[in-house]
Amino acid sequence: MSGAANILEDDSRLSRLDRALYRLEGQMALISGLAIFSLVILAVVSVGGRNLMNAPLPGYVDWIEQVMPLIAFVGVAYTQRSGGHIRMDILVGKLRGRALWGAEFITTLAMFILVILLIWGTYSHFLRSFDFNAPLWSRDSSIDISIPLWPAKLLAPVAFSVLGFRIMIQLWGYGRAFVLGLSEPVAVPLVMSAAAQAAEEAEHVTGLDDKEAR
Amino acid sequence: MEPIDIGLIVSGAMLLLVVLGMRVAFAAGMAGLVGLVWIFWAKFGYAPDQFMKALTVSVKVSGQVPHSKISHQALSLIPIFILIGYLAYYAGLTKALFEAAKRWVGWLPGGMAVATVFATAGFAAVSGASVATSAVFARIAIPEMLKVGYDKRFAAGVVAAGGTLASLIPPSAILVIYAIIVEQDVGMLLLAGFIPGVVSALIYGVLIVILALTIPNFGPPVGGYTWGERFKSLPPAAPIAFVVLIIVFFIYNPFGGDAWGTPTEGGALGAFVVFCMAVYKGMRWGQLKDALLESAKLAVMIFTIIWGVLIYVRFLGFAQLPDAFSTWITGLEQSPMLTLVFILLAYGVLGMFMDAIGMLLLTLPVVFPAVMALNGGEFVSAADSAFGMSGPMCAIWFGILVVKMAEFCLITPPIGLNCFVVAGVRDDLTVQDVFVGVTPFFIADGITIATLVAFPAIVLWLPSLAV
Repeated sequence: MSGAANILEDDSRLSRLDRALYRLEGQMALISGLAIFSLVILAVVSVGGRNLMNAPLPGYVDWIEQVMPLIAFVGVAYTQRSGGHIRMDILVGKLRGRALWGAEFITTLAMFILVILLIWGTYSHFLRSFDFNAPLWSRDSSIDISIPLWPAKLLAPVAFSVLGFRIMIQLWGYGRAFVLGLSEPVAVPLVMSAAAQAAEEAEHVTGLDDKEAR
Repeated sequence: MEPIDIGLIVSGAMLLLVVLGMRVAFAAGMAGLVGLVWIFWAKFGYAPDQFMKALTVSVKVSGQVPHSKISHQALSLIPIFILIGYLAYYAGLTKALFEAAKRWVGWLPGGMAVATVFATAGFAAVSGASVATSAVFARIAIPEMLKVGYDKRFAAGVVAAGGTLASLIPPSAILVIYAIIVEQDVGMLLLAGFIPGVVSALIYGVLIVILALTIPNFGPPVGGYTWGERFKSLPPAAPIAFVVLIIVFFIYNPFGGDAWGTPTEGGALGAFVVFCMAVYKGMRWGQLKDALLESAKLAVMIFTIIWGVLIYVRFLGFAQLPDAFSTWITGLEQSPMLTLVFILLAYGVLGMFMDAIGMLLLTLPVVFPAVMALNGGEFVSAADSAFGMSGPMCAIWFGILVVKMAEFCLITPPIGLNCFVVAGVRDDLTVQDVFVGVTPFFIADGITIATLVAFPAIVLWLPSLAV
């Protein structure tokens, strides 16, 4: 199982496209991260307000439920780009060259089809709660303080569309590698050994005092 | 074709896609969607002009799942727990904890190794990530153990095994995931993990002391600390205890009266304290951004699997596969306890090849109802049940057992990830060395799991107080 990868870059159009999209994905993932942090702030305000000022935060649960799609969907393409969605690589890890790129192409294509269908499905889920003629354009709202639900529902098809572009780039990358028989293609996550993954993992979790210690 | 046949074929195809290396979340989602189309189309008699209708219905059914299943308050614990983990690295807690553990338990036979186990357990608890914890402690604790003369393979084994203690002691993201997927109370599961987590750490500790007493030149005790020095080591490590305790108190108030709040609030307050500590220790925007991005990546990964699997679960319901599996398993002519043991062993084997989160999410929709059925059903009373516990209690007990199994797999060959990580961080160790060093803990874990199976009260006592 792995959830990490490295991505090579060069001057080709594919690689430039990859990096351009990566910038957008990075911004979106940061929104996702900030949304996680906002959960912390919300709770501090809620608990503090309730216990210190006897004034609980109105609609605390409603707000959490609005923040969750931000966290869950917005960074989905970023995670795909960096190979963060886990998979079993015990078999593909053994493949080399065209066999590897062929297998990657097929599973990525299956993913592409799913994502296209889900854009359709999540968009129609959004449309059911969106209405230009309704107050706040909304046919439904949250239970406690009546926040319109359509913005949160719209996040899924938007995020999946970016994911769709990301997968197209990867399909191009795998396809190119398959046709040209490349050994180290750009713009696609390459399978890493367990040791390389460990090093990557350790890099992100090196605390301040470990750095001093080294 | 019967729905159950469609269920089996589609599930088989999904496993094939997973083995071929398709991302687990999307393989599950794909299987769910294709399965739904197949089932609806079969209902329409496979008429060619009805295919689009079947597709449209299935896409709309699936399209509801991501938003409606993710906008759930209890799920917000997962990103919060992950964030605590990343912030903890910047809060200087790793060394503080190791130092405190060394001063308090270093005097025991095999003291340095015992200290490492407790420090890893404590840190793993807040970091929630077993693999990362092992990576960090491989750098901090192994050199210190080698300095006082421990066998390097054993030192590596201690660190690899210590990392696995993460998943039971709150905050545990994997227990939250379990609770969501089997629709049980998140707070109860978090509470239930506490004592088994501590018991696991104690069993590791006792094992080390026994080894130190029986094997000559094992590793000397490290003593000579005054009580003053001991107490001085506590404040820097205190946020760890704070995070664990506040989550427990926000679920269950041991002093009587109501719990202090919801688990979500407790987790978030814990995160806030660790955040303040990290800022105090010198964390700046660049590092916070890195922590937020990494947390987002991990959270997205988990949520994607959750909604992907829930699309698959929607299909499983139509295919009646869980019902069929439950019927088969309750019809076996052997004691329910033996069946349960076989299920746990199967997880042990599966976990050797699959990541814990992926493994649990893919299998639980089918296995969990079967285990509940074995016990006598979801609403069975303790008196009428096969395992001597009510339905909800059985759900909690089984959750702790499978999560412990999943962690056990992090140190089993051939791909016990923690061992690879420790070997990866240390140039002087091969993976085989670490697997040799970790063997005693492997046995200890076997004892722990057997104990938890034989004495469910260890798991269920704390949650039963909070009911």
